[in-house]
Amino acid sequence: MHYKIYLLLFAVLLGGTFSEECHVTAEKTNLVKFISDAPIEEFEGVTDQIDGYLYWEGDRLTEKSDLYFEVDLNTLDTGIGLRNRHMRENYLETEKYPLASFKGKIIKSEKAGENTFKVMVQGTMSIHGVDRLMSAEGIIQKNGDIYRIQSHFDVKLSHYNIEIPSIMFYKIDETMRLVLDFHVKKIEEKTEANNR
Amino acid sequence: MKTIVFILVSLIFSLTLSQAQVRWKKKKVERPVDLLLFHSTQVVNLPTTEVLNKGEFQFEISHRFLPPIDAKKTLLGLDGPAYMRLALGYVPVKNVAVTFGRSNNQDNYDLRIKYKFLQWANATVPLTAAVRAGAAWNTEVTDRETSDPKNFQYYGQLVLNTLLFKKLGIGLVPSYLYNSHIYCDKTQYSFTMGSYVQFYISPMWSLLVEANNTISGWRNQYDSYTFGIELETGGHFFKIFLTNAAALNPSQFLAGADLKNQWRLGFNITRVLTF
Repeated sequence: MHYKIYLLLFAVLLGGTFSEECHVTAEKTNLVKFISDAPIEEFEGVTDQIDGYLYWEGDRLTEKSDLYFEVDLNTLDTGIGLRNRHMRENYLETEKYPLASFKGKIIKSEKAGENTFKVMVQGTMSIHGVDRLMSAEGIIQKNGDIYRIQSHFDVKLSHYNIEIPSIMFYKIDETMRLVLDFHVKKIEEKTEANNR
Repeated sequence: MKTIVFILVSLIFSLTLSQAQVRWKKKKVERPVDLLLFHSTQVVNLPTTEVLNKGEFQFEISHRFLPPIDAKKTLLGLDGPAYMRLALGYVPVKNVAVTFGRSNNQDNYDLRIKYKFLQWANATVPLTAAVRAGAAWNTEVTDRETSDPKNFQYYGQLVLNTLLFKKLGIGLVPSYLYNSHIYCDKTQYSFTMGSYVQFYISPMWSLLVEANNTISGWRNQYDSYTFGIELETGGHFFKIFLTNAAALNPSQFLAGADLKNQWRLGFNITRVLTF
């Protein structure tokens, strides 16, 4: 009889620590956009090439939260080939630093509607070989196994040692606005049993 | 005692297993990369293998000031007169550019097409190749009807490019021009070997030298030589140079230069346009 109680306790301990892991979907609807809003000319760089994961345990997104997202900067398209080339070779130096990434965790989460959560993430943004701590707000919407993640925040180019030549006909703003709108999909639910 | 030990072991086991074990793996995606050896679609008069992106336009305005820089009272030749060219290029499909231009030298209209057909991504000596073909119509020829077949010229070029040390662009452009001397009764041809080097000092500045030597057939008085600088600013290229050739449109340029040991100023400005 005692052993039945022990087994039940064991099962409860295991069952209480389930985890969820979601991977970025390979959808063309994913969007990473940076906006340069210089006085003379506004332009955007757009890509759908974002990858990474969102992980948490338990019922709350903040519990043992871990997230990592990376963007392939070689795929950013500003609409003009020559400008893409300038951006890759002269500013982002994508041969050396092909990815922009963010690694961190969800530190705050509050329900903002049915299946919608307003979250705050904190972590390290890596661009152009420079790591900087930052935090940003975002919205996570659950729709079945799919979570839509939306966020926008500003990035100062000088913080990442990105220099802009003084003679430029494409004026680039020192502050870029990054807009993210992409989807992650829950992969097979991981339990302790799966871990074994 | 056994109970306590069992619970402790269960707790430790449970906590250990509940550590994040992310299964996401980085994907290795091999994307075909377009080799971009030269920055501009042409050096001065000779083409590079570069083609703009599909759907993009390129507007060009070029001048050749006819007086040489040592001519008196012309401010380095800038007082003119000058030959000028206006052109508009378009890329209807990937790696194919169509350009229509006009020069006021014999009111020459020029329609040409360039196709980049080879990219060899070797780390030491990358290579790209393109072909260019065009037809020109000289519409203001003395004592001749505009529609006279002798006013038409045709040409074909093979363009080979490489880039050494990511700084030194080198190009060869063997060219054939049909009806190179439009005033000659017997149809003339010219086979020339164009060549150029361009040294990229920085992302914006480069030095360039260009030559076009006639190998066989008819030639205007001299082979063509040009040297100058290029300033690249986003979608613009500014090229300022000294040259012994006055002609701008390809059918006229391939026929040779008019100055010997003298130089005239010239410039090309191109701008990429999207709509």
